[in-house]
Order: sequence, then C-alpha cells, then structure tokens
Amino acid sequence: MDELELLKKDWGKQDSSYKKLSTNDIYPMLQKKSSSIVKTLFYISIGELVFWILINTIPYFLSDSYRERMDAIYYNDYIFAGLTILSYGVILLFIYLLFKSHKAISVTDNAKKLMESILKTRRVIKYYVIYNLVIAFISMVIGMYFAIMHDPNLADTISHFNKKQMLITYVIVIGVTAVFVFVIWLFYKLLYGLLLKRLNRNYKELKKLEI
Amino acid sequence: MDKELEHSFVELLEKHQNIIHKVCRLYTNNYDAHNDLFQEITIQLWKAYPKFRGDSKFSTWMYRVGLNTAITLYRKSKRTINTQDFDGIEFKMKAEDYDDTEEQQLKTLYKAVHELNDIEKALVFLYLEDKDYREISETMGISEVNARVKMNRIKTKLKTILNP
Repeated sequence: MDELELLKKDWGKQDSSYKKLSTNDIYPMLQKKSSSIVKTLFYISIGELVFWILINTIPYFLSDSYRERMDAIYYNDYIFAGLTILSYGVILLFIYLLFKSHKAISVTDNAKKLMESILKTRRVIKYYVIYNLVIAFISMVIGMYFAIMHDPNLADTISHFNKKQMLITYVIVIGVTAVFVFVIWLFYKLLYGLLLKRLNRNYKELKKLEI
Repeated sequence: MDKELEHSFVELLEKHQNIIHKVCRLYTNNYDAHNDLFQEITIQLWKAYPKFRGDSKFSTWMYRVGLNTAITLYRKSKRTINTQDFDGIEFKMKAEDYDDTEEQQLKTLYKAVHELNDIEKALVFLYLEDKDYREISETMGISEVNARVKMNRIKTKLKTILNP
C-alpha cells in the first residue's frame, strides 16, 4: 500500500484524540495579542522611522548653538534648506510606502503571495535603512571635515600636512565612518535575518518548485 | 453587531477546531508549542474574519489561514519548553486495528513527516485532508503540475525512509 494512503487512513482516525475546546475556552483566546512576524516587522518599521527622525531632529532641539547655526543656514542657504525639505519628503514617502505594503499583507492570500507581501515590506524598510545610512555616512564625513576646518588648532596642524599625511587623514576619516555605518548595517542584517529566517527558507523552497 | 460577529466566529471555530489542531500537530513537537500555535492561528482567523465573505467554505478558509500562520507568520515562542513529546501519546491505534507492523510503519511515517520541511509538510497535510491538486495549488500559490511533481517526490522520500 502507498505510504501516504496508509497515513491518510490513520490520519482520519485521529480526530477524537485532540483536546476539544469549548466556546468558553475560545472567547478569551480572541483577546490575546498576536506575536506574528508581521506584527514584529510593523513595530520595527515604526521604530526605524522614529529612530531616524529623532537622530535628525534631536540636535536641533537640544542645542541652542546648533539651532542658531542651522536657522542661519536655512535662511541663507537655499540649497541646504531644500535638501532638508527633500529629506523630510523622503521620510513621508517611506511612511506611505510602509503603510501601503503593510496593508497589502493578507493572511488569506495564498502562501506564496503572503510571503512576497512580507518580503516587499521588508524591502521597503531595507531601502529606508540604506537611505539613512548613506545620508549618515555623507553627513558624518562632511561634519568631520567642517569640524576639523573650523577648529583653529586642527586647521593649523592640517595646513602643515604634506600630501601623504593629508591622504592618511582622509582615509582615517572615511574609514572610521565606513566602519561605523557597516556595524549598524550588520546589526540590521542580523535583526532581519533572525526574524525572517524561516520565511526566507520557505519562500526559497516554494520558488524552487517553479524551476 | 460585534458581539454577533464574535459569537458566530467562536461557534464556527469550535465546530472546525480540529483543522487547527491538525496543523499544530504537524508543525509543533510538544503541548506548549501546540497551544501557542493554536492561539496564534485563532487570532489570525479572528482578525481576518470580518473580511470572510462566505464565498468559500469556512473550513477551506481555515486551511489557508492556518497553514499561512504555521509556515509564515508564526514566531516560535520562547516558552515552548519540551515537556512531553507527542510520539506515543497521541497516535493511538484502536484495539481492533492493532497490527504490529502497521503500527510500526505508522510511527515511522509520522516521524518521517515531522522531518519534512515546512512546505512539504503543508502539501502532505492538504493531501491527508483529501484536498485535490487544484486546491493544494491555490492554497500554496504554485501550479497544479508543480504540486503533483512535489507530492510524488515526497512519496518517494517517505518510501525511502520506510524501506531503506
């Protein structure tokens, strides 16, 4: 006899072996909170948005001198003001994309479509993180450059550097920033890797069936 | 209205609860994990219930949500400490069906099914539930041909495990 047929025959007999829940057992279950990966992904994406918005705005509200300097730049430098408006526009765009992709996740879709919707949401978050890391990298390098140039002692020291020493300084500045950004990136890879490990494995398995 | 919705849902769930139990049976190894997954599937069903139009049978809809939760949404709980293994507890045979070889074969088969990957388990589950290939392909989002091919491979795999 076919192995699965043998199993099927027995499978049907198992019905009585399950603990039968009454309606009174089921009602409280509806009040419990879900711990699905979609929920976790949703919280993480909210966390990402808040985190990067705070990173960008906290110095403005906490430091008077920073605020004064920024206000002066905004009034005088239209390009910088434009870039800031653009960066908030990008955040708004990501909020919209995240909202849209979260809404598209439906547990009643077929297994493959559900996985694809979740992976799409994950991609939106990934792009948001990449965007922020790139911006962080550029701002840190420019920030360090200005900090060095505006510090009279450092500026004086650097003005005496030869070409080789200058190059080493650039390499160190860029290298330190790159390592910092890379460590944050690794953290994200680990976070999403752990969260979506099973989903990725199952999605690959489904895709394999199509080959 | 909400109370009515809740009531109708709970009644339907109570009636068809074995579908969830069976999904949990396949995807978990112990009672804690079983209950945990049961809870998560129930929440997912309840959340999706207002959109349930009734154009498909409630049970058919449950298969989809149940499997989706088990293979995609469910995050294993930390408190799934192995207390009691299912083997030997739940797969009881009735006295009149007792057959040493068959019982042994079944035990090995259940164990082998447990070792399949999540997608293979889903296919086996739908097959054991007597679903045709059209329904299997619609639930999984793969073509009917691919569902058949994969099922044949699983059958061969099980045969090898049973007759090494």
